[in-house]
Amino acid sequence: MSLKRDLPTSTMSGFALSGILVLTLLNILLQNMPNSIQTAGNELLKLNANEGVANAVTAVVVYFRGFDTLGEIAVLFIASLGLGLMLNSNTKCDIKAESNFMLQTASRLLFPIILLFGIYVMIYGHLSPGGGFQGGVIIASAVLLLLISHKEFEVPHAVIIALETFAGVSYVLIGLVGLLVLDTFLGNFLPHDISQMGLLLSGGIIPLIYIIVGIKVGSEMSMIAQNLIKRSNDV
Amino acid sequence: MIGFIILVTFIGIVIVAFSAVIQKKLADSVILLMGVGLGSVVLFFIFKAPDVALTEAVIGSGISSLIFLMALKHLDEKV
Repeated sequence: MSLKRDLPTSTMSGFALSGILVLTLLNILLQNMPNSIQTAGNELLKLNANEGVANAVTAVVVYFRGFDTLGEIAVLFIASLGLGLMLNSNTKCDIKAESNFMLQTASRLLFPIILLFGIYVMIYGHLSPGGGFQGGVIIASAVLLLLISHKEFEVPHAVIIALETFAGVSYVLIGLVGLLVLDTFLGNFLPHDISQMGLLLSGGIIPLIYIIVGIKVGSEMSMIAQNLIKRSNDV
Repeated sequence: MIGFIILVTFIGIVIVAFSAVIQKKLADSVILLMGVGLGSVVLFFIFKAPDVALTEAVIGSGISSLIFLMALKHLDEKV
């Protein structure tokens, strides 16, 4: 009954029509796909072995498409900046009620574990699934847990500014050193021998860049969470 | 067996996504959207994309749902 009232027949038939159109398009695309597209991944995997990084996705994200990652970091920075401008958090806490006793105790227990897991995902990004983006957001979710459980907790502003500036500047500096040494921006100028593959210290600059990305994403997402939770009431 | 898991997860995702659309309260929709994210984490993991699965688990069903809930809380105060 209520389903029919919420979604009239025209909407339902629109859904069904668009679904059939997408399926037809996918069918045509899959049948007319040239064979060369399907082997593009193999070429990248062959190139990946030169960099000495066990996780092929990390090699693509940080090395082959390193400049794109710099752009993504810039986009996230601009988003965080805009949110900070719109919702400045100089006034008092927005949450009125005291949080639950269970939440407070559990957050004290869970915060170091989540933080440690985030740092692990960040540092081992070139060996196992994960990396800077995921690790940074895990760290930010640990900070978010503290923010919703402890009313008086605030992310230290000076530390965030220092971390973010350090991360952004060092990303560009590593790229410029690669430009000087190897004539390519973000060139892998540190030793990255294939025999070292699978060790923690392998892959040259790739783990360094992923740790920098993790620091930047973590601090930016923490600031976004704090701005959303503790914003001034008169915006 | 693995095909059965894929099929059940896929049908579950479609059902949860559809029920997220027809919910009256927006907060319920956000919770069901979290369920869609969790189902796609399982699918990504089965189809051998653990990086994407980790990203979806952290961002898709973790942070973004909390940001949605925070925005809904502010909307409730205003409206």
